[in-house]
Amino acid sequence: MLENDHDLFRGESRRRLLVLGGLTGLSVAALAGRLFHLQVLKGGTYHDLAENNRISLEPIAAPRGRILDRTGGVLVDNTPEYRLSVIPELSGGLGRLLRRLAPYVDLSEEEILSVIKKSRSQRRFLPLKVKSRLTWEELSRVQVRIHSFPGTEIQTYNLRSYPNGTLASHVLGYLGEVSSSDKNAFPTINFRSGDLVGKAGMERQFEPLLRGGEGVREMEVNALGRQVRELNRTDPRPGMDLRLTIDPELQREAEAALGDRVGAVVAMDPKTGAVLAMASQPSFDPNMFIQGISRKEWNALLTDKRRPLTNKAIQGQYPPGSTFKMVVALAALDDGKLNPSEGIYCNGSLNRQNHRFYCWQHRGHGRMDLKQAISQSCDVYFYKMAERIGIDSIERHAHLLGLGKLTGLGLREEAAGLIPSRAWKRRRFNAGWFPGETLITAIGQGYVLATPLQLANMIATIANGGTLRRPTLVWNDKGGQTEIVEHGQINRHHLSLIREGLEEVVHGARGTGRKARSEFGRVAGKTGTSQVVRGKRAADGKALNASNPLYQDHALFVAFAPVDDPAIAISVIVENGGHGGSTAAPVAKRVIDLYLSRLSGGVKVAGTTNPDPGNTTKRQAPPQEEQEE
Amino acid sequence: MIRTNWAAMLGIAGDDRLGLGERLRRYPWSLVALLLSIAILGLIILYSAVGGRENIDLFWGQGLRLVVGLLLLFAITLFVGEKLFRRYTYLFYGISLLLLLAVAMGGTVGMGARRWLVLGSFRFQPSELMKVGVILALARYFHDRGVTTQLGWKELWMPAILIMAPVGLIAKQPDLGTALLVAAVGGVVIFVAGLSWRGVVAGLVVLGASGPLVWSNLHDYQRRRVATLFSPEQDPLGSGYHIIQSKIAVGSGGVFGKGFLEGSQSHLDFLPERHTDFIFSVLAEEWGFLGTMLLILLYGLTILRGWIIASAAHDRFGILTASGLTALFGIQVVVNVGMVIGIFPVVGIPLPLVSYGGSSMMTVLLAMALLIHVDIHSKQHGRAV
Repeated sequence: MLENDHDLFRGESRRRLLVLGGLTGLSVAALAGRLFHLQVLKGGTYHDLAENNRISLEPIAAPRGRILDRTGGVLVDNTPEYRLSVIPELSGGLGRLLRRLAPYVDLSEEEILSVIKKSRSQRRFLPLKVKSRLTWEELSRVQVRIHSFPGTEIQTYNLRSYPNGTLASHVLGYLGEVSSSDKNAFPTINFRSGDLVGKAGMERQFEPLLRGGEGVREMEVNALGRQVRELNRTDPRPGMDLRLTIDPELQREAEAALGDRVGAVVAMDPKTGAVLAMASQPSFDPNMFIQGISRKEWNALLTDKRRPLTNKAIQGQYPPGSTFKMVVALAALDDGKLNPSEGIYCNGSLNRQNHRFYCWQHRGHGRMDLKQAISQSCDVYFYKMAERIGIDSIERHAHLLGLGKLTGLGLREEAAGLIPSRAWKRRRFNAGWFPGETLITAIGQGYVLATPLQLANMIATIANGGTLRRPTLVWNDKGGQTEIVEHGQINRHHLSLIREGLEEVVHGARGTGRKARSEFGRVAGKTGTSQVVRGKRAADGKALNASNPLYQDHALFVAFAPVDDPAIAISVIVENGGHGGSTAAPVAKRVIDLYLSRLSGGVKVAGTTNPDPGNTTKRQAPPQEEQEE
Repeated sequence: MIRTNWAAMLGIAGDDRLGLGERLRRYPWSLVALLLSIAILGLIILYSAVGGRENIDLFWGQGLRLVVGLLLLFAITLFVGEKLFRRYTYLFYGISLLLLLAVAMGGTVGMGARRWLVLGSFRFQPSELMKVGVILALARYFHDRGVTTQLGWKELWMPAILIMAPVGLIAKQPDLGTALLVAAVGGVVIFVAGLSWRGVVAGLVVLGASGPLVWSNLHDYQRRRVATLFSPEQDPLGSGYHIIQSKIAVGSGGVFGKGFLEGSQSHLDFLPERHTDFIFSVLAEEWGFLGTMLLILLYGLTILRGWIIASAAHDRFGILTASGLTALFGIQVVVNVGMVIGIFPVVGIPLPLVSYGGSSMMTVLLAMALLIHVDIHSKQHGRAV
């Protein structure tokens, strides 16, 4: 009985153990299957995950290249910034440590509390920023006691600095936090969010060069993010210094000469294409962007009607006004349609297509040859020239002098200006070209637009005998000399005729640019006054809109000097400055004076300023030239 | 002869006890070989898991415990008479329960839970003793109740108390994993003892129904662990962290592994608890699929051997004890490996013979000693399989 029961139990328990054995087999098979899935099928995926786990790449910033002027002086520098950090886990009580630090680095209780609050969201072994931009006193006070502050460290960062403040700020540009468009602009640079990148000027143009190559530390880290050791290190490639062709004294003088007026000055070496000075007023201080610009300050810069962020030397497009007349004269000579000694009569206006085209001198200039027409800026003379040669020839010669297209300076802000043509008008307005428009174009009004840089390059080309160069701001081993864009297309004799006229502008008894005369050499130039608003004129020739300062004409002046061996070419524009001869020419004179006095060693050159014919012949009153248009 | 006299002097010799020679002849050397293989493999993995020479103390400590445990195992299997266990099973169970109570009232808090009892410099977890205690008590109970294959409520209320009392105390510590393990092992013993199939179904239904009740009494961290199992990526740095990192370690081992001491997950602190509960992932990372299959095979054969011993035992106590011990061993293996590879929630179940830890090692070796003891004695009646 008992033996039977026992056998019964044994049989039943064996059956049940078989069930358990089966369950064991299933479980083991499930584990094996899962392991096969993880290790064999997904092994590669998890291998990659493990690799990513292991190494954290830490960038090492490369010191950004400096920007130097042509003499090697520093225009843009890096200055160290000192930050105070504390590693909470080493501090032995963060709050207590901060309160002990407070008297040395001027920490308020509020700041202490905010640092403590911040510490809660950050791992305790990572440095916690307590205070940035320590002063030298704070730095030294903490540094000598650093050992009594556990976990405290001073970190050094390189801050971009512009020691001259606003000097050449438009050329230098500024830095800002990287945006997605910046990333697209420099696809080869591996930006990190929060990186600073050149936003304008040379800082932007030479971003890759200045930035250099970021180094990398490959840190082995554990799961907590704590660094175990350095696996590998690639040192950063420091950014290269960039030397500019900018002449710092000349730049300073150009900016000072403009003063607080709105405008631009571009000075070039006509022999090389090197830009000696490029001023745009008002300007800004690039340091503002580094130290953190407030929204208010930024908005003020953006909404300022005087556009301080705009580099007017290359972004400002102005009707060139009478400075354009040299293009028309050159075209007429080249086309063989003008005898320079031929007298052309000006009675103050010209009637064409039921429209009266006025000369700025409503009384009329009388009979004028080329030299007189240039020096007195006779509009009627150039209306007639334009009729002889037509818009096509004007367009072609404007291009030969670098107008209507990008100069190739390289700054992305640069505007191309505009030289109208029949094709352009067809494209733009789907309309034919009217003969009257040719007349307006001839005096640099209407559709024509040029940047101050283009005008400087134009006058440089005239000065150097017809060689159009690509202007540059970058110094090279040839002193900034650049490649030639156009050469030999313009008759040198015709150019010298133009130059004679330009010299007469400054040195002639009735020249419109007499205020540009320099004691250090003879100057050749051309005044210009460009209309902001195409206002109708009253019978007395006065603009109707004269009362509103923003409707005042722009004053222009382009010049080169010395006449015999041109060393500097310059263009000046003063927005709403009125007349070129009275407002822009004196600005040019200051820059030219400085440059020529340096060339001549301060020796004045006889026969440049006196005797002033204007003084001896009092009958020819100055108001005449002050009204030229 | 001298040895038997020595044993007799200790009063542990029974009238049916076997001589040493006979025991050695019947000794299940294959099982010993399996256990030794697992333990030595475990030590090698541990050497890597503790960081090689850096924490060599842990390695030697584990090795020492293995040697002591094995000596204990041989002592029990070679010298202790069969009747001794049966005589003291309830005492063993009672002491274990008292120790659990002591822990509940004033144990040392470690890792956020009260699990440890400190006696001088000796720390151990009474729940480890209870794993074996429950099995012995249940086997003794069913053995005494006589033979039946259709257990009803009349026979089951006492086993239910024997199981639930320690399970409740352990769950309170809180150590849900061990509590469930003890309950499951008890369930297996009852199942083998002859719970009616209706009862099996009813038990499974009750288990399923109590799920929500258990859930509502879980600690937050326990709930998170369960939730994490299904979607570890939701909280990669929080509760999902263990599982994600462990899966990465296991998966990145690939077929052949990264090589001994070469596991980046293991050696860069990505793996938490890597020398204790998660030691399997160190093996997986460094030895690859081949390594994991080797260990799984060793475990599978060991468990299989356990079931065979159970079925060959000469009486009810032997059958039930062997079943419970095998279940204890097997469930730990499956749950621990399952946890490491992300098919079980993270519960604190160590990997038998491999995970670092004195209590666990001793318990497993004690369990194996009892299993071997059953095996040796089954052959006494010529019922060897």
